[in-house]
Amino acid sequence: MAARFVRFVRGGLSRSFNFPNRSVTFVQARSEATTTETRPTVRPKDAVTHNQLSAFGEYVAEMLPKYVQQVQVTFFNELEVMIHPDGVIPVLTFLRDHTNAQFKNMTDLTAVDIPTRQNRFEIVYNLLSLRYNSRIRVKTYTDELTPVDSSVSVHQAANWYEREVWDMFGVFFANHPDLRRILTDYGFEGHPFRKDFPLSGYVEVRYDDEVKRVVAEPVELAQEFRKFDLNSPWEVFPAYREPKDSLKLEAGDKLETK
Amino acid sequence: MASAGVTRGASGAVRVVKPIFSRDLDEAKRRVRELYRAWYREVPNAVTLFQLDITAQQGRDKVREMFDKNKHITDPRVIDMLVIKGKMELQETINVWKQKTHVMRYFHETETPRPADFLSKFYTGHDP
Amino acid sequence: MAGVLKKTTGLVGLAVSQNPHERLRVLYTKILACVQAMPPDAAYRKYTEQLITERFNHVKTEPDIEKLEKKISCGQIEEVITQAENELSLSRKMAEWKPWEPLVEEPPPNQWKWPI
Repeated sequence: MAARFVRFVRGGLSRSFNFPNRSVTFVQARSEATTTETRPTVRPKDAVTHNQLSAFGEYVAEMLPKYVQQVQVTFFNELEVMIHPDGVIPVLTFLRDHTNAQFKNMTDLTAVDIPTRQNRFEIVYNLLSLRYNSRIRVKTYTDELTPVDSSVSVHQAANWYEREVWDMFGVFFANHPDLRRILTDYGFEGHPFRKDFPLSGYVEVRYDDEVKRVVAEPVELAQEFRKFDLNSPWEVFPAYREPKDSLKLEAGDKLETK
Repeated sequence: MASAGVTRGASGAVRVVKPIFSRDLDEAKRRVRELYRAWYREVPNAVTLFQLDITAQQGRDKVREMFDKNKHITDPRVIDMLVIKGKMELQETINVWKQKTHVMRYFHETETPRPADFLSKFYTGHDP
Repeated sequence: MAGVLKKTTGLVGLAVSQNPHERLRVLYTKILACVQAMPPDAAYRKYTEQLITERFNHVKTEPDIEKLEKKISCGQIEEVITQAENELSLSRKMAEWKPWEPLVEEPPPNQWKWPI
C-alpha cells in the first residue's frame, strides 16, 4: 500500500517519504490512547497520508493551473480540489484518464446551498480511484441562473445525480442528455433543498370528494408555525467558528487549511 | 505557481455572465413563442388524453394566463430558465407521465379565494 | 511466445493482448508525439513525458511480459494498455483545452471560506 502511494504521486513531487514513520505514528497514537484515557477520543493524525494527499493535490494544481483555484486537505485527510466552473469537464476527464490519477468512479455528485455567497451553490463531485485506492473531491460553484457543464460525457453515473441536483436545487446542467425531475411529483413547484424553500412547502395535498381526485392547495399555517428559529441551538462547529476579522491568508505556501 | 491553497492567476475584469441559451432578449422571446405554440397545439390532445372536463378553449386560456403571469420578466436568462421548466412540464404532459390531478392543478378548482378586506379576514378568524 | 500467453485477464471485457509490446510502442509513440506539441514548460507535458518515457523504456528493454508487468507495476499489461489509451485520448483533449494557461477567473471573495 505504501509502495502504491509512491507511484501515485510519482513525478509530481521531488520529496521522498519516510515510510518507517508511518508505523511509528500509529504505535505512538495507541500508547497515548491507553495512558491518558481521560482525554476525548480523537482520531490520531495520519501525517503520511496527509502529505501524500497534499502532494497529489499540488500535482493536480500544477497540471491544471487554468482551472484549479485552490487545493486543500481536510482534517480527516480528504483531498479537495476547488475548480472554476468552466473546468468541470477538463478536470474530471483529467482525473479519469491520467495514468497517475485514474479516478474512474464517480461515487457521488451533489450540491450545497449557501445563500449568503455570491455564487450560492457549491457542486461537489466525489471520485474514487480503484487503482490507487484513493478518493478525491472536486468542488465548483454556480448560482441559480448560471449553467454548469454536465459531466455525463465523462461519468455516466452523473446522469441521475445531476437530475437530482436539478430537481432539488434548480442548478441547470448544460448538455445533459435527459434533464428532468427525478424525486418530486409532477407539477411540483420550487426546489426543496434550497435554503429559502420553507420547511412546510408551498402546497398541501389532500383527496377531495367533490372533484374525486387529489388536489393540491396552498398550505395554510398559523403564523407561529411559520416562524423558524434560524439560530439553531445546535452550533455545529463552535470550535471552528472564527472570531471576526482575524486570520488573514497571506499569499504564499499555505497548503493545508484545516 | 505550484503553491496551492492560495487562489492563483490573474484576471477579474467585469463580471460577464454565461447565457443559458439565448444571447439576447429577442432570442429568448423566440423561444417563448415556440413554447407557447407547442402548448397551444398540445391542449386539445391533453384534454382528450386526460379526459379533462374542460374545453380546449378553457385550456388555451389557462396556457395564455400562465404565460402572461411572467410577462414582466426581461432578463433573458430568467426567461430561458422558465422556458426550460415549461418544456419539461410540456414533456410530462405529452408523455402522460402526469395524471389528471396534476393537469387539473393548474386550475385551482377547489381553492377558496383568500380574504382580502378587513371584515372578511375578521370573519375567517385568523391572520393575515 | 504462444506457449506462455495467458488465457484470460480475469477482468470482464478485457481480452488478453496478443502483442502488447507492439501495441504499447504504438500508443506511447503517439502520446509522446502529441505531448511534444505542447509548450515545454507545461506541467502536463513535463510529467506525462517523464512517466511515459519511463514506461516506454521498460517496454523497450524487457521482452518478458510478466517481468514487464512487475517493472511497470500498474496491473496487468492489458490494463497498462488501457491506461495508455486513456492517456492518449486525454493528451489530445489537453492539447485542445490548454490547461497550462493561467487561471481563467479568480473565485469571488469568500467563495471557498468554510465555515461561512
